[in-house]
Amino acid sequence: MSGPPLLELRGIVVRAGGRAILDVPELALAAAGVTAVLGANGAGKTTLLRVGGALIRPSAGDVLLDGAPATPAAIRRVSAAVLQRPLLRRATVRENAETGLRFHRVPRGEARRRAEEWLERLGVAHLAHRGAHTLSAGEAQRVSLARALALSPRLLLLDEPFANLDAPTRGELLVDLGEALAATGAAALLVTHDRHEAAALAEHLAILHAGELRQTGPTARVWAHPADADCARILGYDTVLEPEVAGRIMPNGGRPLALRAEDCAAAPPGTAGNGSALTISARLRRVLPLGSTSRVVAELDGRRLLATAPAPAPEWLAALGPGDPIDIRLEPERARPVGRRSTLREWR
Amino acid sequence: MDVIWDALRDAVELLFSGDGETFEIIALSLRISLTATAIAFAVGLPLGMLLAFGSFRGRRLALAAVHTGMGMPPVVVGLIVTVALWRSGPLGGLELLYTPSAMIVAQAAIGTPLVAGISAAALQQVDPDFRVQMQALGASRLRSLWAVAVEARLPLLAAVMAGFGAAVSEVGAAMMVGGNIAGETRVLTTAAVLETSKGNLALAVALGLILLLLAFAVNLVLTLAQQRGRP
Repeated sequence: MSGPPLLELRGIVVRAGGRAILDVPELALAAAGVTAVLGANGAGKTTLLRVGGALIRPSAGDVLLDGAPATPAAIRRVSAAVLQRPLLRRATVRENAETGLRFHRVPRGEARRRAEEWLERLGVAHLAHRGAHTLSAGEAQRVSLARALALSPRLLLLDEPFANLDAPTRGELLVDLGEALAATGAAALLVTHDRHEAAALAEHLAILHAGELRQTGPTARVWAHPADADCARILGYDTVLEPEVAGRIMPNGGRPLALRAEDCAAAPPGTAGNGSALTISARLRRVLPLGSTSRVVAELDGRRLLATAPAPAPEWLAALGPGDPIDIRLEPERARPVGRRSTLREWR
Repeated sequence: MDVIWDALRDAVELLFSGDGETFEIIALSLRISLTATAIAFAVGLPLGMLLAFGSFRGRRLALAAVHTGMGMPPVVVGLIVTVALWRSGPLGGLELLYTPSAMIVAQAAIGTPLVAGISAAALQQVDPDFRVQMQALGASRLRSLWAVAVEARLPLLAAVMAGFGAAVSEVGAAMMVGGNIAGETRVLTTAAVLETSKGNLALAVALGLILLLLAFAVNLVLTLAQQRGRP
């Protein structure tokens, strides 16, 4: 990272009703690229985004712009946020897209040109004369994004931009937004509960759990090396085995092991696997068909362990009942040792 | 039945005969009530914003007080304004009693709680995140408030209409602080009361009809502005 980061949060604490709902010791955003904050619902993502955009004042801590403390007005001048629900004015689509530009006193003609350009890029130019309240959720979200992008902000703040969209709409918008973000060259802070959206758009990942920032780093590294069990679950590791159980499967240095269901294959009990694979002897609980694969829910020392099998379930699996022994196989490098519960301060 | 037919005939005659006194009364009614409505809006809207978005001790108490004011009897308002403007009263030096200005003050006082109360409800109806979103696009605090007001323009115009309706229709306060002086402070409502008491029922009903027509005309303009773009 050359030069100071565009935006930096330091020692941010937000309290509500007497308890801390957000605790971010440090989070820095480079001048370009997307940083995703990943967390479950209620983890404090929206609060974090609003602190970053100077839309709420933290109970403690500083927000730095270009390495120096900045006023809320200064931060808002260079940033634009897209809140979770598309909040459009009761006006036409084009007037909505011009809104931010008019707030920034951009002359009417130029505002119109820039608004139309971004409506075009997000594929909603044909709706320009429609009333904003007649749009579908997907269209409204595109207009909302165009409205923010038209400002050419140095910092774009995106709060769950794909929430409330159906799967096909979400997929299309994901591609279009990725291209739009690359085109602007702006820095973006994306908060989401969806790890796939985060992985698709962000170079950097931060994980928020119960208001605490637990882990930050390049996406690939965070993805493969969760700092702790909570981070592992947020990143889609379905199973986290406790150290004692994990130690019986592979040497783990006394650490928990995180596994993804798709890396764990169900196999008939007692059969030999190939050379390197680990075999875990478990008991079957049930099989859930997921369409293209089957999810196998197994049990190991009273703990749930998820694995994958082909769909429809093979004969041997269909013949098994709840409580029958079953083998789970996985490549050792797919089992990720994770830290014991840690805060970011300890982890770093 | 004759009374009604006479009244209708009188009303048409009054309107189309170019009777100077009638037009003076109509013009004064309009001038006083429109000015009062403008003042009620200028005071009531910011007050409504404060009650809707402010966070201060006693906000709910103030809101309840405003809601009470929405149903304030004009006679009580007239009494308060009269006492305030009485020669020996706190504002007696202004010598406003029995002038159109006093009537404007009284009608504005009647309209302001209506505008404030309806405005507060209208503004709170807008999604609270709407204002945050406007600020997140670069709007200042004041500009974002204005954006919320524009968003709530339909119910805000309803607030204006309620304010005007209360102002133009009240008679108690106009009578008390204006005095119903011919050519000076006589408006449609006070003239109608006077004609009724004199037994000129036809003329009184005619004045009432003109008042209704006037109120309809003003509300038609406001409604057309409110419902622009809809059939």
